[in-house]
Order: sequence, then structure tokens, then C-alpha cells
Amino acid sequence: MDSVLRATVMYLALLVLFKIAGRRSLAELTTFDFVLLMIIGEATQQALLGNDFSLTNSILVIITLIAIDVGLSLLKQRSQWVQRLIDGGPTIIVENGKILHKRLRHARLVEADVMEAARSSQGIETLEQIKFAIIERNGKISIIAQEP
Amino acid sequence: MNDESRRTEYHSRDFPVREDMAYQVKVWRFERWGWYAMVLLVVLALLGLFSRGPLSSRDVHGSDGKVRVEYEMFHRHGSTNPMKVSVIGRPDATVELELTGKLLEGFEIETLQPEPVRALSGEQGMKLWVQTDAQGQASLYLTLRGEGLGLFRSHIASPGAAPVKVDQFIFP
Repeated sequence: MDSVLRATVMYLALLVLFKIAGRRSLAELTTFDFVLLMIIGEATQQALLGNDFSLTNSILVIITLIAIDVGLSLLKQRSQWVQRLIDGGPTIIVENGKILHKRLRHARLVEADVMEAARSSQGIETLEQIKFAIIERNGKISIIAQEP
Repeated sequence: MNDESRRTEYHSRDFPVREDMAYQVKVWRFERWGWYAMVLLVVLALLGLFSRGPLSSRDVHGSDGKVRVEYEMFHRHGSTNPMKVSVIGRPDATVELELTGKLLEGFEIETLQPEPVRALSGEQGMKLWVQTDAQGQASLYLTLRGEGLGLFRSHIASPGAAPVKVDQFIFP
């Protein structure tokens, strides 16, 4: 019983924590983010398994986690509300070459982040060449270039 | 123009993606308050709300000061914390200590030093007899491992001395 409870509580806790962290926090995985992710995994592991290192326990924990995950995706398919709650929605941050500063500030981004995405995805050099920049639901910035 | 665009920043766009800015503002607000909550939790943890810190470490004694207990009020399931029980009795004799209440249900006593001269367990709890020194003082060092969950109230008493109430809470 407790392994299922552990996995459920941990799943929900991580869901809420990563919602607080925001969609961009681990979207662009830098070396440091990767190390951070590993440490989080390490800290989670003990609480998930407790003192029980049996095969049964670990399989139970994995089954619980996957079951919740699949269950949530089924729920997302059926309910628009749940989908929005868990995945969020896209946000436009550059419109016709102009930065929407308030949105950028709330999303904890700076102009350099937008230009970095613009360069790496479209080879864009200046802000004026961007028609739209959008923070996607997964936290990545997608760029739509101005037509020449 | 600039002012107007600033004001319209909170309006939802339909192209190229359909936005819901009212909801997005709520998400941002949630992120901000969530961050405040996390900082608060970190500060509380530093203060010892989740064991080991000024909020958690207790040093209590009975009204006559003969029995004194140093312990952690907050424990975490599976972690160990020390507890020290000091008692004043007659010099060079044995003194009786009685541990009653939920202590033994919530905790596993990993170590008990020094070994009591005599120990006895009854319906209510445990009685220990420890040897006092030339000044009539005796101390008992325990290592407790939290095994239960929730609040555990116990009493530590010695005949002829005021008892000490020990309240401990074990986090999951």
C-alpha cells in the first residue's frame, strides 16, 4: 500500500513544484540544469523506495507512476480544463518586431533569450525580422520570421 | 502608441496562436506565490520546523527541576535524533526513570547509553533504573528513530520528582 501512496504523493508534489518553476525552467537543458535534474532524481529515489529495495516494490512504484501518467493524459483528452491546467497555453512575446515587455517580464525572460532562439532556429539577426515569437507550452521559444 | 501597446499586452491574441491571457496571468501569479511559498519553506526548514533547529530542539525540565529532557520536537520518518534524559537522585544509588505514553509506539530506541542497571516494561511503558554519581546525577542518552507518523505525547517521570511532558511530531 505505501509504495503506491509514496509514488502518488511524489508524482503530485513534483507536478506542482515544476508548475511553480514554470514551463521554461528545464526546457533549455544546460549542463547545470542537467546536473540539477540528476540531483532531484537522486533525492526523489530514496523517498520513492523507502527501505524496501525489493523487485516488487520498484515495479509497483513504476506501475503507479506510469498509470497516473497515462490516466492524466486520458483526462487531458476528455477535458479542456484539465489540459489547460496541466499543459498551459502558448504566449506571444514578440509581435511584428516589437517585444511585449510585460509578458516577457512575467515569463522571466530577457531579450537575449528571444534573440538566441531566433538565431538558432531561423538565422535571424535583428528583432525587426521577427514577426512572432511564441513561448510554447513546453517552454521552448518558437520564432516566425517576417516575410521579406 | 507605446502606452497603448502596453495596455493591450494583456489582451488575448487569436493569431498565430489562440491565447487566454486571463488564464496566463493567473499562471504567472501562481508561479510568483509558489516561489514565495518555497522561500518560506526553506526559511522554516532552516529554523528547524522539519527537525534540527531552534524551532525543534527542546530542553525542558519538571517544575522542581529534577528531571530534565533534551529532545527534538520534530522528527522525520526513518531519521534518527538524540534524546538526553538527566535526573537528580540520591548520591551513589540507583534512580528510577519511567517512560510512559506513546514514545515507544512512535519511536524505535536504537541505542540506550549507559545500560540501565535494571529495566522493566509494563502495560504503560518502560521503567529504567540508572546509577547516579557522587553528586546524585545520572544521565541517559537515547537515539530515537521515528517509525510512526503524527503526534506522540509521552511522559518521563521519576518517583519524587515532577514529571516532564514530551510532545513529538513525526513527519512522513
